[in-house]
Amino acid sequence: MIHNTKCECGHQNPTGTVLCESCGKPLVENLPLDTPLEMRYDGAARRSQKQNPDVIDRVWNFFSSVKIAIWLIILTLVGAAVGTIYPQESTFINLDDPAAYYKETYGTSGAVYQALGLARTYESWWFIGLLVMIGTSLVICSLDRVLPLYKALSKQQVRKHLTFLTRQQTVLETEIPGDADQWVADFGAQLKRKRYRVWTDGTALLAEKNRFSRWGPYINHIGLIIFLLAVLGRSVPAWHMDQYVSVDEHQIKQIPGTDYYVGNDKFTVDYYKDEELPDNLKGTARAKLYQTQATLYACTQYCDDDPLHDPVLEKVESHAIEVNSPLEYKGLKLYQYNFEEKIRLIEVKPMLVDAVSGKSYGPFDLKMNDPAEISQAGPYTLKLNDVYPDFGLDEEGRPMTKSRDFNNPAFVFLVTGPDLDSKGELYIYFPMPSAADKGVQQQINDSFKKLGSNSGRFNFEVGKMENVTFSQFTTFLNVRVDRAMPYVWVGAAISMIGLVMGFYWHHRRIWLRVDGGRLTLGAHTNKNTYGIRNETAAALAKTGVDVDPKALDNRRNTQ
Amino acid sequence: MKRYRKPIQYIILAVVLLVGGYAIGQSFLTPNKALKPGSEAPAFELLGLDGQAHALDSYKGKPLVVNFWGTFCPPCRNEMPALQAQYDKWKENGVQLIGINLSEDRVSVNSFLRSYGIDFPVLLDKNKKTERKYGLKEYPTTFFISADGKIQDIVIGGPMSEETIESRIALLLGKD
Repeated sequence: MIHNTKCECGHQNPTGTVLCESCGKPLVENLPLDTPLEMRYDGAARRSQKQNPDVIDRVWNFFSSVKIAIWLIILTLVGAAVGTIYPQESTFINLDDPAAYYKETYGTSGAVYQALGLARTYESWWFIGLLVMIGTSLVICSLDRVLPLYKALSKQQVRKHLTFLTRQQTVLETEIPGDADQWVADFGAQLKRKRYRVWTDGTALLAEKNRFSRWGPYINHIGLIIFLLAVLGRSVPAWHMDQYVSVDEHQIKQIPGTDYYVGNDKFTVDYYKDEELPDNLKGTARAKLYQTQATLYACTQYCDDDPLHDPVLEKVESHAIEVNSPLEYKGLKLYQYNFEEKIRLIEVKPMLVDAVSGKSYGPFDLKMNDPAEISQAGPYTLKLNDVYPDFGLDEEGRPMTKSRDFNNPAFVFLVTGPDLDSKGELYIYFPMPSAADKGVQQQINDSFKKLGSNSGRFNFEVGKMENVTFSQFTTFLNVRVDRAMPYVWVGAAISMIGLVMGFYWHHRRIWLRVDGGRLTLGAHTNKNTYGIRNETAAALAKTGVDVDPKALDNRRNTQ
Repeated sequence: MKRYRKPIQYIILAVVLLVGGYAIGQSFLTPNKALKPGSEAPAFELLGLDGQAHALDSYKGKPLVVNFWGTFCPPCRNEMPALQAQYDKWKENGVQLIGINLSEDRVSVNSFLRSYGIDFPVLLDKNKKTERKYGLKEYPTTFFISADGKIQDIVIGGPMSEETIESRIALLLGKD
């Protein structure tokens, strides 16, 4: 179907134009006769409306449709809602077998939910696909409408077609007293006092104010696009990280996937005293403060797991991490997440005690993690023969370690030195101060004695507490990087500016023409028609035309 | 303006394809990186008990058996003699067998190997990094890696019998 798009005023309009770009005469014949004109985008054609669309045009037109945009938004809403039925997999730390976990915890529906991939809704291809499509739709819808609207508003004809005027929402047709030119000038002066910008063309007039509010929705859309791009940007690995590290006191641990290391210098937990608690909570442990005195180190050399060298660390930041007070360094944030009270030895400095002479030698350093193979205590040399971080016995009664954690460490030393057999003497040492451990230590050393491995003359003593370094608490830190956040805020701010522009200012236009003493006036606004009728009626009253604001309402007149 | 309309459309749609394609593509890269037969064996470079660094790459070109073990794990301890026997049997045929210790200290590893009479090469993992790369969930776990660096089989748990090891080494060598 080929429309004749040439208006009677002689202007050639693009396909899809509703109101002539020049004089405003309605071009679409089948418009309802008795209703105000459709003024959206000033009746301009959307940019992509074409007679013979090719494939690209069809794709473009698909995204240009507001109807499609609404469907996309509804689908996204439904998808996002479905994603909240059960917790998402990403909210768990160390979820090894999600399928089993969902089945066990939430039953069959949970298993189905997980199997359908809904436990990973927000990372799924279809959800991200919908976001991408909404983003595309935002760009294309806006572009297709804002450019024609901008064009239409920046070259408006002052003299409009009579049909255009009489079919506005606010209309007045009446005789005016006196000279038409003078009246139009007076009326224009009145409108100027109301901050309208006024153009005249003979006895035709156009007055307009707050045109900028029409750009509000588009500015809002720009903000939303930035917001969406920022959200999609989080899928770039360097832009987003969210993980957990547990660090014992006095321990320095690498933050996985980075060249940063974090050390827990001291963890403090403070509980409320009973008198600070309400009656129903008395006697319960309520934490007042969790605090990790943390130090952040950056690796400067040998950072790539070089097996021959330890990484070289440089202290870059330290902070007392509390809830809502993370350690921040170059976009990396470490939040307090949890803690566990668990005593672990870090290092002891025992003395080698000679029971025969009563002399003690040392102290020597004994680190739990990676202990030195040779230590020196006075004239005696201690060669570390065996380490059992978590001492136990295997099925055959031989000593073994039950785990890799230093829960109950035991060290076997070969002691050599003056007055000792040249092959040395073998002693086991349990640094944990528990009676049970000391008992086992005694037993094993006695059995060594029976085997002739030692003479029983040596013992180990730590003595003062300052010779013991231990961790009482393990802190759990949440490590986050979210480089998209500033863009999210910028997007949100722009979006808000656009919304405020559109909400609190209204674009108002008044057209009129005087033909042989008869005034035809039409006015249009996108919101608050009461306001524009009152303004028009007030200006008319000052120029000798008394009219009730309500009488200007075209919709009322035609009903 | 009009003559730019087409190019602008193309540019916008191209940007959408690029950004959208990247975002959607990323969503397919699930973090579920569980190794399975056919996967490429993840690279590592670890310190051996010999004091040298050993990289996975240096074993390429020959079939490789990688056994993850720890002195704290009874089945690991129990399958050590079988691994040693298989190592002795196949080393002349170009099959390599290495153990990767689960981040224990050198002293305990050395003393354990001494007491069990083990002399196949053992590398020391550090801070559980390599075991994480290999996604270990149970100890011991043994990977049978073909000469081209692809994982051919994975045995999770133990202790493995000599037959279990042998049949898989035969497959690595292309014999049934």
